[in-house]
Amino acid sequence: MDYPIWNVAMGGGVLMAWVAITHVIVSHFAIGGGLVIVVTETLAVKRSDPELRELARRASLVLILVSTVFGAISGVGIWVVAGLISPGAISALIHTYVWGWAIEWVFFVLEIVAALVYYTTWDKISKGAHVLVGWLYFIGAYLSLVIINGIVTFMLTPGGWLESRAFWDGFFNPTYWPSLVLRTGICILMAVAFMLWSAYRAPVDRRPDLVRYLGWWFLGGALISYAGYRWWEAMLPDTVTALFLGDAPTLATLADTRSFALWSLTVALVVAVVALLAAPRLARGVTALVLMAAAFAFFGGYERLREGVRKPFLVHSHIFSNGLLVSQIETINRDGIAAHSGWVAAGDPSPEALGERIFRTQCSSCHTLDGYQGIRPVLPTVADMELVVSDGPGAGAVAYEAQCSPCHGDVEYEDMVGMLPTVDEIREDPDFIRELNLGMITMTVLELREMGEEITAFDPTTPFDMRELTHPTMPPFVGTDEEAEALAVYLASLDGAGAAAAARGGAQ
Amino acid sequence: MNVDLVPALDAAGLPGPPWLFHFLLVFTFFLHLIFMNLTLGGTLMAFVANLKGGGRENDANTVFARRLMGVNTYAISLAITTGVAPLLFVQVLYQQYFYAGTILLGWIWFAMLVFLMIGYYAAYLHKKFRGGWLGLSAVMFFAIAMVHVAVHLVHVQPAKWQAFDGSAVSVLGDPTYWPRLLHFVLAAVTFAALVAAWWAVRRARAGADVELNTAIAASAWRWALWATVLQIVDGFLLVIVLPKPVLLGVMRGGLATLGPLTLGILLGIGLLVMLARTSSPVEQPGLVSGTLATLLLTVAIMSVTRHQVRVLYLDDFTSQFSATIAPQWGNFVLFAVLLVAGLATVFWMIRRVLTSPAEGEDAA
Repeated sequence: MDYPIWNVAMGGGVLMAWVAITHVIVSHFAIGGGLVIVVTETLAVKRSDPELRELARRASLVLILVSTVFGAISGVGIWVVAGLISPGAISALIHTYVWGWAIEWVFFVLEIVAALVYYTTWDKISKGAHVLVGWLYFIGAYLSLVIINGIVTFMLTPGGWLESRAFWDGFFNPTYWPSLVLRTGICILMAVAFMLWSAYRAPVDRRPDLVRYLGWWFLGGALISYAGYRWWEAMLPDTVTALFLGDAPTLATLADTRSFALWSLTVALVVAVVALLAAPRLARGVTALVLMAAAFAFFGGYERLREGVRKPFLVHSHIFSNGLLVSQIETINRDGIAAHSGWVAAGDPSPEALGERIFRTQCSSCHTLDGYQGIRPVLPTVADMELVVSDGPGAGAVAYEAQCSPCHGDVEYEDMVGMLPTVDEIREDPDFIRELNLGMITMTVLELREMGEEITAFDPTTPFDMRELTHPTMPPFVGTDEEAEALAVYLASLDGAGAAAAARGGAQ
Repeated sequence: MNVDLVPALDAAGLPGPPWLFHFLLVFTFFLHLIFMNLTLGGTLMAFVANLKGGGRENDANTVFARRLMGVNTYAISLAITTGVAPLLFVQVLYQQYFYAGTILLGWIWFAMLVFLMIGYYAAYLHKKFRGGWLGLSAVMFFAIAMVHVAVHLVHVQPAKWQAFDGSAVSVLGDPTYWPRLLHFVLAAVTFAALVAAWWAVRRARAGADVELNTAIAASAWRWALWATVLQIVDGFLLVIVLPKPVLLGVMRGGLATLGPLTLGILLGIGLLVMLARTSSPVEQPGLVSGTLATLLLTVAIMSVTRHQVRVLYLDDFTSQFSATIAPQWGNFVLFAVLLVAGLATVFWMIRRVLTSPAEGEDAA
């Protein structure tokens, strides 16, 4: 909250999603690939099977090119982007788990050195030594997952850490083991999705064998993933599962994401059973593409769900995604955000300019102006108001339903239109509507500040039930009355005269 | 001085005493420098040598370039891997400054990832297809060096943050920017050149391609010599252009700061003398090994001085804050034990690989 802000038009969250999604896919492939490749080579040595050996060899080229390069760089990329968009949050995480990350680094060193040695020593060292290097690679890679899994799951379910602040209480949190099982399954899915391409390059007569061999791996990976996923869901606190499970989930989009993920896994399982196990001769490039797409969709859906249910926290019930600590709410409400951050205090003191700096500090980690989670489209404008009153029960009623009814659910559309000025009156005196809009925005900002007061009343040693709040997926606003007003002035100014005129032209 | 712009210390406190993190930061940065030097210096030299070789397969320059890029197959990966640890520890010790500095540079800092990706894959593509990939790789690694020097200079100068907020590229006008960049680039070239010379001397002495390896050793030695000559000049220039309070801080720091700096300078001059003593390194293998060892020691000592200069740059600001310390000794011990076990495993694995050569049917 007291760092300078990096302005990214597309939204920092979108950039982070791109970097993180590519990294998790590649890193899970690197782990699963390590297992499947080394087991394949071990079997090849035992059975003296040259084609099985070639499968391991070809896949190891992909492994090194993808995991040691792309995986390593995108892994660093997560820190780079997190430091740029959520410095306070990543700092809190690093200060809590620096030794966890340091331990993971040790395994990472083993993993990378072993990967390089493994790939470059084909045909050069004894079979036993080569297999040994492969197993060391897998052990290093898997142990890095064992460590990072503790930190990632801590963020959603910090468990006993909320009370004890003890490293291991947070590390072995309620979702640690289910998540490890789930990710182990996903690692295998990712590995097979990539390795199928290597199997297709085998001689035609051996291809079905190799495809079926990988099919068994895929089936195992899918079943482990499913078991891990259900266990993970079962270990989530009710306050979290209520967001996406049940007859009336709080966040319907996350319920859809869950369905999407599970159906994707089902599709992957069916395709694998039919095309890899039952009729491996049918397997073609398109089969691998479908399996990759389905496996990625399941994995992506799960990650989206995991991130979504954690909102608005970085570490649940401890620190919000914009870097605000729960423990800071009262102090900042009392002293003001400008007293807390030199970057907010410095510069033009006019309300609009101050409000813009407050927006950048408190809101921009999730909201862009016009892009992803754009704030401008959800703010009331003069054009919106004209639309509501100008079009009778058609588009006006729809606009009213979409934009106004969440706050004015007790007022019928016709009654509201009766209370509002006509289109001509609005055009004659748009400032009246702007004042009205400013009032509505101010009310919302103050509502968000009140939410902070409610949050501070929660028991800080147990996971918060955010469903009780008016905006359960948003951090509270923190600051003084003047700062709340400044933010509202800035937000209202986003509906500038030019924008309003343009919108009016569009409406006409 | 605007302390208000400096964010607060992390509320979680330091999970260990500051000296431990200072040590780990410097130590792991030194490890990173070894592979970074091979990557940056090796790629730059390979690019020039490749041009000089003109694509002739058995030309000493072409082989020299190929050999440098062969080393880079490992060095680039290990430069990234060893770079992770100092990146972690700098965030623990200097989060207030490091994050602010990187945010002020924004896309420039993010671009480092893109440069790294392109530079890395271009190095692989060069091995497969030749052509212009090597040049692209060299440009990317040089650009990464530029980004890192920029990040360093922005994060250690909070007094200039408002100016950098207006124009991040104004860091290029910092009096120390170019001497500092050159300091790292020349060190990288010297290091990669000496490693290449050392290997070529070993091969020549073992009777393998004696003529070729003698030519490569001589060429690499010349690279190291001239890079060190320029380094001595640039090093003094860098000291002169340091901000006065920082320079005074070094001078008044007594043995703690003057010791490493003086030793580093003396080692640098000693390096120059050793490099100038022969133009035929194959005949003096002891001198070659001694020179490489001296350079390694110089890099280690200079890593300490670099860190001390950072401490002095930030002194006015860090002295305003007092970190709470909440040591996690058990976790540190676990890390230390695993680090030792991990490195031992790596050495054991490499030893096993080196003692298990095989060919034909017996090979993996």
